[in-house]
Amino acid sequence: MSDDPDHGHHHPRPDSEVALRARALEALLVSKGLVSTDAVDAIIELYERDVGPKNGARVVARAWTDPAYRERLLADGTKAIAELGFGGAEADDLVAVANTATVHNVVVCTLCSCYPWAVLGLPPVWYKSLPYRARMVAEPRAVLRELGLELPDEVEVRVWDSSAEVRYLVVPMRPAGTDGLSEDALAALVTRDCMIGTGVPPTPGPAT
Amino acid sequence: MSEAGGAPRLADLDAALAGQAPLPRDNGELVFEEPWQGRALGMGVVVLERTGATWAEFRRHLVDAIRRRPHDPGESAATAYYAAWLDAVEALLAEKGLVARSGAAGAETP
Repeated sequence: MSDDPDHGHHHPRPDSEVALRARALEALLVSKGLVSTDAVDAIIELYERDVGPKNGARVVARAWTDPAYRERLLADGTKAIAELGFGGAEADDLVAVANTATVHNVVVCTLCSCYPWAVLGLPPVWYKSLPYRARMVAEPRAVLRELGLELPDEVEVRVWDSSAEVRYLVVPMRPAGTDGLSEDALAALVTRDCMIGTGVPPTPGPAT
Repeated sequence: MSEAGGAPRLADLDAALAGQAPLPRDNGELVFEEPWQGRALGMGVVVLERTGATWAEFRRHLVDAIRRRPHDPGESAATAYYAAWLDAVEALLAEKGLVARSGAAGAETP
């Protein structure tokens, strides 16, 4: 994507009054020593796995099993996720980007933490961290390697910078050896990180 | 993660809030439409841990806040719920004498 750090990233919707109030309350509680920002982050991290990116996983599993749906998803993500009953205010403009044998996609939000809530739930804490946001654009391969994803040199890495206007969902490649799996079983392979692009779905072992 | 070590599991929250003030869910999953809603939930959990207040106490404040909150048809269910949740955190802290109630927790607010 563009290197221009100021590519229309400002939020068109200002923070709502209640969002400001939540921030003010947190600041007050921190100043009173009743909570720490880290402790609140830790709770969110604990529960985000319960929130789960299951909606997104269902979208991906459908795209893997239904080529026509995949086409619709890549053409108009917002409309395609609405077919499965997903959407909402922050999914106004969801763009699905598909990994291929030669292209790996990864999503970041360099200026804040724009994230496809409707399909992925709560963003992981690291997604909002400054190092991730800054380095994923500058040296995506190195960051991916640190996150445990080693990509062959011939695979092109495309970094998609989210904004308040456009959110991205990565459609990972369907792993080999999953021909006989049901849509539900396939969805179980699709982790949150796969759909951010910092991971890929596991290939089921021969034992399973 | 260590700071969340003593935190209740989500199932415990569900059990504590079941009935009159269940956490907003869609298709079984928690609904957070905006980041502040998740932070509101996190703040509540941490405040209860730090103050030793019980979920029964918190639930009383939450149910009360939900009941008192004027219905705004333009507001989503999750926004209304977590706004009431903020009211309840403030009410609990006020009751414990830890933080004075802000105006926002009262009956007004536009």
